[in-house]
Amino acid sequence: MGSDPRSRFVEIYESAYEPILGYVLRRCPHPEDAADVVAETFTVAWRRIEEVPEGDEARLWLYGVARRVLANHRRGERRHEQRTTALRERLAASPALARPPEDEMSQMGRVFRDLPDDDRELLCLVAWEKLDHGQIARMLGISRNAVRIRLYRARKRFARGLAKAGIDHPRAVALEGSSL
Amino acid sequence: MNLADLARVRDKDLAGEASAPETRALMHAIMSEEREPLTVTRPGRKVRRGLVLGLAAMATAAAVAVGTGLVGGPVTSYANAAVSIKKTGEYFSVNITDPTADHHRFEEAFRAVGLRVTVKVVPVAPSDVGKLIGPIVPGGFKWHGSIGTQRITPCSSAFCAKVWMPADFPGRVVFGVGRPAKPGEPYVDEGPVDPEGDEALSGYTSHGKTVADVRAELSRRGLKLGYRLLWKYEDDGDGGISWFDEAVPESRIKDDWIVASTRFHSSDTVTLYVTPGKDAGPAPSPHPEPQWYDMPD
Repeated sequence: MGSDPRSRFVEIYESAYEPILGYVLRRCPHPEDAADVVAETFTVAWRRIEEVPEGDEARLWLYGVARRVLANHRRGERRHEQRTTALRERLAASPALARPPEDEMSQMGRVFRDLPDDDRELLCLVAWEKLDHGQIARMLGISRNAVRIRLYRARKRFARGLAKAGIDHPRAVALEGSSL
Repeated sequence: MNLADLARVRDKDLAGEASAPETRALMHAIMSEEREPLTVTRPGRKVRRGLVLGLAAMATAAAVAVGTGLVGGPVTSYANAAVSIKKTGEYFSVNITDPTADHHRFEEAFRAVGLRVTVKVVPVAPSDVGKLIGPIVPGGFKWHGSIGTQRITPCSSAFCAKVWMPADFPGRVVFGVGRPAKPGEPYVDEGPVDPEGDEALSGYTSHGKTVADVRAELSRRGLKLGYRLLWKYEDDGDGGISWFDEAVPESRIKDDWIVASTRFHSSDTVTLYVTPGKDAGPAPSPHPEPQWYDMPD
């Protein structure tokens, strides 16, 4: 027999909350907006708990949901719900999140920001979420080979962008232990 | 330079966030919401017309129980004025004789044969009167065996079906019994609409026509209209496609948008399921509306 939906949801929420919050925070311009995206993501998981895969696959499934919720969020859907008020305040006041936006940080940040969305997301999944090709393939619902090819092209475009921006040694930019 | 340095925050910076009071409060707020029920099986949408309802008068007011093995234990067959249920091998034969009876009469019969289920008597279109709807398992079916229904024809009652489910399943199981809706009373939702074309109107295909065209046809037939936008989502997780329909006022709909399906909402109103046009704005996040089987027992 499977565990009941409530205890299963608690288990998923407790184990995946921090990586999902991290995923969303790294992609939201304003930390406090992450509260609404995270809330929506886990609400989808609660409603569709039977579809959430077991083990670490649940995290990949939730990344996929969060990605779609974020896309809606960026398209203009702003939903500040009462249930996230306290969490919004917590995130807005968090010293760990008080860093400047990435595009102000460095020239590399600006080149990165100007990449096509799909390129940027793939590179982020490797550099930030530390996902391997197989995990990215499962999260995006594409083949490992497609991930490998798209990632190769994204790295090339990033390297070209860096060179064009006058960064002479794009190979000095590290992506998970290897150069671009 | 490391690409990881561009991240505003790393996961390890968030250690302990999962147990923060604000985080826990959100979890409880989410869990207080109704969940999307998993529909295990649904009988076919088309139900035979010309139901024989007169047999209810032949049934006696008293219930008849047969085959009691143990004192207080389940019986192998049970009949009252509303329904008769008989255990046959691995399934139960259910004959509905009075679809307008009180729901307690149905529950009483199911429970007598050992099945703890909730029954709701719900308004349906004339063609669905008497139909046994479900079983619906709001918490999902994760148990040994299987659960389902299969309609049996020919049938001399209002509706005949085989029902099978493990008698020891501890979750909530809901059946509906279709009763005639009053004029203008909304029918219960039959489940997801077919985006490729449910057709409400005999002799008329709405799929692929403009809203203006279908509206004109409905007006000609003296019917009122409701609107739902049929949003399409490509699931990132598995590459599949899912749909979500959103009730909207007429002001959200443009005349040149295309109708995907039509369905009777009540005896005098047809709902148009419309494919959103390019200027429809962003797709909403799917949010299920409470259904008849979510209502308190």
